[in-house]
Amino acid sequence: MAVLELEDISKQYGAITALTNISLTLEAGQVVGLVGDNGAGKTTLVKIIAGNFHPTSGHIRLNGEPVSLHGPKDARSKGIEIVYQDLALADNLTAAANIFLGRELTLTARTPEEAERPWYRRRRWWLPVPEILDYRGMYKRAGELFMELKSETRPRDLVRRMSGGQRQAVAIARTRLSNPRIVLMDEPTAAISVRQVAEVLSLIRRLRDQGIAIILISHRIPDVFAVCDRLVVLRRGEKVADKNVADSSPEEVTGLITGAIERA
Amino acid sequence: MKKKDLGLLVLILVVGLGVYLQNPLFLSPNNIANTANLIGLFGLFAIAQGFVIITGGIDLSAGSMIALLGVLFVDIVGNRGVPWPIAFVIVIILGLLLGLAHGLLITRLKMPPFVVTLCGLLIYRGVARGYTGDATAGFPFGSTYPGLDFFTARIYGVPTSILLLLVVAAIAWVVLHRSVFGRYLFAVGKNEEAARFSGIRTNLVIGAAYVICAGLTALAAIFFAMYTRSVSPSSHGNFYELYAIAAAVLGGFSLRGGEGSIIGVVLGAILLQVLQNLVNLLGIPSSLNFAVMGTVILVGVLVDQQWGAYRARRLLAGSARESGAKPTPPDPVPER
Repeated sequence: MAVLELEDISKQYGAITALTNISLTLEAGQVVGLVGDNGAGKTTLVKIIAGNFHPTSGHIRLNGEPVSLHGPKDARSKGIEIVYQDLALADNLTAAANIFLGRELTLTARTPEEAERPWYRRRRWWLPVPEILDYRGMYKRAGELFMELKSETRPRDLVRRMSGGQRQAVAIARTRLSNPRIVLMDEPTAAISVRQVAEVLSLIRRLRDQGIAIILISHRIPDVFAVCDRLVVLRRGEKVADKNVADSSPEEVTGLITGAIERA
Repeated sequence: MKKKDLGLLVLILVVGLGVYLQNPLFLSPNNIANTANLIGLFGLFAIAQGFVIITGGIDLSAGSMIALLGVLFVDIVGNRGVPWPIAFVIVIILGLLLGLAHGLLITRLKMPPFVVTLCGLLIYRGVARGYTGDATAGFPFGSTYPGLDFFTARIYGVPTSILLLLVVAAIAWVVLHRSVFGRYLFAVGKNEEAARFSGIRTNLVIGAAYVICAGLTALAAIFFAMYTRSVSPSSHGNFYELYAIAAAVLGGFSLRGGEGSIIGVVLGAILLQVLQNLVNLLGIPSSLNFAVMGTVILVGVLVDQQWGAYRARRLLAGSARESGAKPTPPDPVPER
């Protein structure tokens, strides 16, 4: 069954139409590449799925059930995680601090599940101290996540001192915190060196192998062909192609993006 | 304690030693107690300023707020006969409300903190002067208020203000460096968007920082009013916001937000008062007071920054040798 179904999603900003009638399904353990030129609507679509924006019209279904997403926290609680283009990391903090940002482990909420709960539904919410961070617990869990991803990133390192690939590892490790079903990645390979791209692509494969459905936005056609099972092409807010990577070619995709090929 | 804080501590000790060698009065119990009292007073609202600066904001209204709330406190206790504990509560609540107003203007109406608090600086000063008709607010001659001398008392020679500073600093340290809220302050100050995407209610966090700042400043205002016993609204607390900002910057806070430590800002406040004391004790004309302070801060920050840049270069060269690859270079100028 499809993990995520989008039906006729449209988004307008005032008079400007960003997306028109996008429909899309996503299966577990599948990597879907979302490609298109600048301004084609890729980021808008991802931000709708992540709960940042409301669609002007259309429906979203998770595991067959219609949902309405109220903000990123709500989307996250429903199993949708996102890795943002600009990475959305606070580089004055450590890797571990960034992974747990917004759902810190504390002395009263020692597991990620509990940290996501509102304070009044936590165990021992009546404890009259401010929520004290559980540093040790967070370092430990962050270390385990990096190990799972086979990344050499250290939980105690400041993100400021990290390479682009390590930052990606932090951003991806964040998504693993809550056992998500869907991970959205916005240009994960855009800002990093060629050597690190391979590293990030293998991180993506590892997520997929754990049965997570992934939407990968990328400008880099070779990366899409390297990891994706299916690809969806957007042009000026419309879906112009949705096919298996095996049935396509980089030339065709480039044509679809630019408009040289109308539809496929 | 971070290396930066340690450096500041060493600087304080070196300056202190220098002053002592020139004038042994520096370490006389009376001078220490007086300086400690001032450290307590200035430290309180320097910590307050730290909470705001860490979010990438600034509070320029602290000095005027100290004047306005000081005038009000003295007036409602001295002239309106309100029992001082009630006046105390009223003034603190008023401070919190002013902070809330700052916070709402900045987060809801998206006004720049500089503008909001600069207008606060002008408005509060003006209101303070208008309230008393530019007259000095004071207690009626010969009046006493049981318990009110708490604010200026010394317990075994230790001023209450520095004791309170210790308590406030300890709480602030836990809140900023060990609590979830503190972590949100750091995150919001560096990358507000990232924080928002992580589900942090950034407006709430930033607003709370301004409320905390104004609340602590109100507390300091009462101490200052009791320290001077009479408040002349046109000069009371002038430039105090700059003392607080200077203490924070000396203590390693970045005015761009996201960096800083409570120990640092307290040490910064201590250094400023030691410098003030130095000017008095070494017979430097007190008109040069600000010049001395400005020079020391400038040199201190300059040395720290150059040292930071030097270390960053060394680190970069070292890791390049090790791995044969170049990591992303850190900012060429370390942030302050």
